[in-house]
Amino acid sequence: MSSSTEQSPEPTPNPKPSLPDDLLVSGIARVSRLYYPTLSIVSKSFRSLIASPELYKVRSSLGHTESCVYMCLRFEPDLTPCWYTLSRKPKPCGYVLAAIKAPRSPCAHLLAGLVSTGSDIYNIGHKFSNKGTSRVSILDCRSHTWREAPSMTVKRSNPAVNVVDGKIYVAGGCRDDTKWMEVFDPKTQAWEVVSRPGGGGENWGIHVSKSAAFDKKVYMFGNRNDSLAYKPKEGTLENVGWNVELNWRWHSNCVIENVLYSFHQGKFLWYDSKVMVWRRVNGVEYSTKSFRVCMADYGGKMAVFSAMPPDGNRMKAIWCAVIALERRTKKNIWGKVEWHDAVLTVSDSCILEYALSATV
Amino acid sequence: MASSSTNKFVLKSNDDVSFEVTEAVAREFQVIAHIIDDDCAKKAIPLSNVTGEILSKMIEYGKKHIEEAPVDEEDEEGKKKLQIWDEEFMKQFNMEIVFQLILASNYLNNKGLLDLTCCTVADHIKDMTPDEVRTLFNVKNDYTTEEEEEIRKENSWAFE
Repeated sequence: MSSSTEQSPEPTPNPKPSLPDDLLVSGIARVSRLYYPTLSIVSKSFRSLIASPELYKVRSSLGHTESCVYMCLRFEPDLTPCWYTLSRKPKPCGYVLAAIKAPRSPCAHLLAGLVSTGSDIYNIGHKFSNKGTSRVSILDCRSHTWREAPSMTVKRSNPAVNVVDGKIYVAGGCRDDTKWMEVFDPKTQAWEVVSRPGGGGENWGIHVSKSAAFDKKVYMFGNRNDSLAYKPKEGTLENVGWNVELNWRWHSNCVIENVLYSFHQGKFLWYDSKVMVWRRVNGVEYSTKSFRVCMADYGGKMAVFSAMPPDGNRMKAIWCAVIALERRTKKNIWGKVEWHDAVLTVSDSCILEYALSATV
Repeated sequence: MASSSTNKFVLKSNDDVSFEVTEAVAREFQVIAHIIDDDCAKKAIPLSNVTGEILSKMIEYGKKHIEEAPVDEEDEEGKKKLQIWDEEFMKQFNMEIVFQLILASNYLNNKGLLDLTCCTVADHIKDMTPDEVRTLFNVKNDYTTEEEEEIRKENSWAFE
């Protein structure tokens, strides 16, 4: 009834000054991206400000770019990848994997080789099809939208993708040996087949079981026990000793500052081309019941995701740990868990596909 | 000879409060510097968008940054000292005043104070709930009921 509302003391109209959009952008540009998922819930205008080119212009003019971790999950038997980003949540304060809502591109539903340069995540080829695809899609981590990139020269299934000096090297996953590798330059937006240097095993076009890029080389291991390193600058291919391969799990590894890290039997191990032996990361207290973890370079630190065993309701928690790394001597790297937190609860059918970071 | 430290100007707020400042302090605000350069600065410079309360704080900031300006780019100690002063300076204000300082430093074009006040807001909104942010910025939740439902479903962490 109107009379009752008149009687209740109406709050006086808010005299608070509100900020015009350009000043709001100046404020939000100084906030860490970790808080953006919360801010985009505020209102439609906030949501569009947070995805706006203006905001990212201000952020880069302030030199305020940061490493943001993205996690790709999949819920079996569905093959569609679901994307999340590591964020902060309010009350109770903590970390969370916030789902990102990106309008789908025609081929972004095909999970494939994932790699990032700058603020873009590239999704290359197709993981779950023997035929493969030549299509490439890009997730713009600023606006959280997908766009199509120029297609590769050949269809590839589950290729190895790595970045050296800002260029993306894609190898394997096709039957044409002459196209064993091709390279994409984000500046020119063009693919180019890498001519095959002498040396190395045969039939490289077919399968690369694991790969990583460090020290300006692409390290690749085939299913015929070939282990090679390609040096883009010299255009040469060299055989790599068995040492590198030994403790390198295809599913749980990442490269941070030219050091390859791997998680194997409950331990973090590292390898680089200076020491050329796998060594244990000292001082890390980390335990997980999960056989498989996903690891990513988080601005020089290591972000590690693992799933707990499911509870009675067939739900499981995904945990994230951030580990600071310090190389104290040539042969010793120490790790310290900065925080370890449950960041998402998912159904038991969830697979942790991949974690990686973009600079936004 | 008049120099920027002896030459004086009067700044007048929109509620008729006058402040006499040296030319150097007046020039801390780009808009006022232009008025001086254009030789339009007669007796008092009226500032139609700034209250006396806000203007006095801006002058305090401007004075400090003239008096304690770091000697050069390498003067790390000087920069640090000023930074500590900045932090202390901002602590006295509630968000309403901070917003007014943002608007005024944008209007009078003082990059340092605009940066400082924007950082204060950025720091303040960390770990706030969407509702708290709405109240702070006086923003309406304009999501439809359906959209709101979807948001709550997809971001249940924000509504615990």
